[in-house]
Amino acid sequence: MVSYIIRRTIMAIPLLFGITILSFAIIQAAPGDPTSLMMDPSMKPSDKEAFRERYGLDEPIHIQYITWLGNMAQGDFGDSIIKRGTPVSELIMNRLPNTLLLMLVSTILAILIAIPFGIYSAMRPYTKLDYTVTVTSFLGVATPNFWLGLMLIMFLSVTLGWFPTGGVATLNADFSLWDRIHHLILPAFVLAVADMAALTRYTRSSMMDVLKQDYIRTAMSKGFKEKKVVLKHGLRNGMIPIITIFGLMLPSFIGGAAITERVFAWPGIGLLFIESAFQRDYPVIMALTVISAVFVVIGNLLADILYAVFDPRIEY
Amino acid sequence: MKKQAWLLSVLLVLSMFLAACSGGGNDAADTEPEEEPEAPAEPSGEPVQGGDLIIGSSGAPTMFNGLYSSDASSSDIEGMIFDSLVGSDLEFNPVTDGGLAEEVDAAEDGLTYTIKLKEGATFHDGEALNADDVVFTYNIPLSDEYDGPRKSYFEAVESVEKIDDYTVQFNMSKVDAQFPVVGLGFGILPEHILGDVPIPELGEHEFNTKNPIGSGPFKFEEWRDGEYVKVVANEDYWDGRPYLDSVTYKIVPDANAILAQLQAGDIHYYAGVAQPDVPTVESFADAAGIRLESGLALSYTFLGLNQRMEMFQDVSVRQAITHAIDREAIVESVMAGYGEVAHVPESPLSWAYNPDVPKFEYDVEKAKQMLADAGWTPGDDGILEKDGERFSFEVKTNQGNKVREDIVVILQQQLKEVGIEIVPQIVEFSSLIADIDPGVWNFEGIVLGWSLGTDPDPSGIFHTKEIEAGLNFTAYSNPDLDVLMDQSLQELDKEKRKEQIGQVQQGLAEDQAYTFLYYPEEFRALPANLQGYEFHAKNQLYKINKWWLEQE
Repeated sequence: MVSYIIRRTIMAIPLLFGITILSFAIIQAAPGDPTSLMMDPSMKPSDKEAFRERYGLDEPIHIQYITWLGNMAQGDFGDSIIKRGTPVSELIMNRLPNTLLLMLVSTILAILIAIPFGIYSAMRPYTKLDYTVTVTSFLGVATPNFWLGLMLIMFLSVTLGWFPTGGVATLNADFSLWDRIHHLILPAFVLAVADMAALTRYTRSSMMDVLKQDYIRTAMSKGFKEKKVVLKHGLRNGMIPIITIFGLMLPSFIGGAAITERVFAWPGIGLLFIESAFQRDYPVIMALTVISAVFVVIGNLLADILYAVFDPRIEY
Repeated sequence: MKKQAWLLSVLLVLSMFLAACSGGGNDAADTEPEEEPEAPAEPSGEPVQGGDLIIGSSGAPTMFNGLYSSDASSSDIEGMIFDSLVGSDLEFNPVTDGGLAEEVDAAEDGLTYTIKLKEGATFHDGEALNADDVVFTYNIPLSDEYDGPRKSYFEAVESVEKIDDYTVQFNMSKVDAQFPVVGLGFGILPEHILGDVPIPELGEHEFNTKNPIGSGPFKFEEWRDGEYVKVVANEDYWDGRPYLDSVTYKIVPDANAILAQLQAGDIHYYAGVAQPDVPTVESFADAAGIRLESGLALSYTFLGLNQRMEMFQDVSVRQAITHAIDREAIVESVMAGYGEVAHVPESPLSWAYNPDVPKFEYDVEKAKQMLADAGWTPGDDGILEKDGERFSFEVKTNQGNKVREDIVVILQQQLKEVGIEIVPQIVEFSSLIADIDPGVWNFEGIVLGWSLGTDPDPSGIFHTKEIEAGLNFTAYSNPDLDVLMDQSLQELDKEKRKEQIGQVQQGLAEDQAYTFLYYPEEFRALPANLQGYEFHAKNQLYKINKWWLEQE
């Protein structure tokens, strides 16, 4: 097992290397550069040139890449070009806790709701409850995040005044845990809805497959309680595909919440990503790309490890 | 950026080149200093202190140093923290009132400006602001080591020197009529803090982001990236403590979310209410305790035609295209009527605006006739042809700007009437900007907007010398106007300059250098009980130190 993990980690290095080359090339290939937004009739082209020179943007792309890679290898993501003098790591660290908190809470929320419903649907397929769950799931998947978010803000926050309209905390107020939670509820819920819907569907189909297996029928015929058979013998096998899904969901922790973050003015990584992409703030984009790539690798690895935990037949 | 910015109000506008002119502009005042508080139309009592104003913005600032930042949000905040020597009034004249200058004395030949400073201004850390700070600040962009975006503003400045503790003198290498309004609008930086920092390091110095100290009406308190910037009243402000206790500049990237927050009372002031949203905001204004103020925005939207293409080189063809466009209808349909048809690249608000220029009204028959006279005849499919070439071209605009996307579609319909085919191309903003870069010029027609500076000089966009490497991307050229523009930059007599610029505007309108479409009207939502507010097209926080909230 340990040697497997080590082997996988080593294999990830060329992969990450490839990702950085590719993303660097793609970003540079996009038209414009950080000076694109400085359009001012009294600003001479020479001023832009000076700016490009200052940030090494006039160098050939492979030189820029090597410089960047060298710094990155020493753990230095560089400084933002747009927010001059602000280290990229600082920008990211300011935002990362917000995004992680949001994603963690919404994922837990999604799991807590989706898995029980999925299991129940699988146990009683083609009943009213199953249909209700199915229809609700599809609605959840089909509802765009930003729309749902805005609707909730309009009704629950503006009209009823139950929730804050956005942000992570009340402005000009002292820290309070409840205030933080209060601000978290709506965005976490909105994010959870889509995940919830998908997870319910996956759980349902995976559990249905498992419940058709001979060993479940055997256990049932032995007279064990249904609940015990499903939860103890069925669930463990039924969860295996779900774990893969989780592994694949992990990378979305970084950028996946961008739209929700935008609607709720939630200062997270997703927003930073969008902002930097439009401003062509290369160092920030690259840092976030690398972090996402690392998350993809870790997510996959984690899924594989958890496989072994849940499925004794698998050994590495 | 979709740009950021901002985005809703500023998506209207191509650029954010306003930092320079509004650097300290909100401190600028009218000619009579003591007539505050000026509450238009409403009876008001004595101003009272107190209140925290929350300003909503979809754009986020980048740093607080006017010599290095180039976006509107940063400039808004810089205007509160820093004072400049002069500001601009409602007609964009440079004025000393509210600025640090007591008197600006321009020499007869325009080659020296002697500026007497007001005494008694102090930085937020208590140090007095004097001539050393001014000399220090202006020596930054004059240095060869300076790498910020403002170098060109100071091309005509030879040196800055201290005469005595409260007098400085600018020595010019050549006359620059723009200098008093453009060059003197920068926030004064504290020499005692930054004096020892090497100039190449100033752009990255943490003063700009962590701890900006100016002499303005508000002190910097906190910036939480992606959330807000908070400034608090400067108790010792030389022009009297501002009435508001604090101002929080809140960043909410989504325009719809801003409206919801406005309605819920989580944002009190928002300057970027989009025209189509006006009825919505009006519907909840009373309940939310806000009111709307409007005025013409300092910008215009236009259709630019690439005059490198033969078909657009004929002036009468460009005039015919304008005749074929019903601009009133565009304002009516895409702007919900909130705008004014534009004829020249200058705002009607400006002192230099010339209303007396050739106008090309909507007249389809005349347009057809002019095109026929120019040799364009209808082909088999109804599209005009000349020498085997069909009158068909692409019009680009930026994605995400609903108004502009609609305009392109309307242009397509309207120009079809006269036999001209338009192929709409909607492109991402940064890509679009790259398409008009010097040497690229990858467009045929383009719908964009320019925000205008406080100085009326149009040469940055229409002068022949700006074709090769500047912003004259449509390659418009008229040597007669070039001469006039050059002269107007050398003209110190304001009346004469106004006349020259007026003639330039006439020429640009006659030539249809652009197909000028309209000036948008701008809407700002503010607390119903906010007093002392004046609508300044360039500076949404104009004289914010004189704003106060009337108590019920």
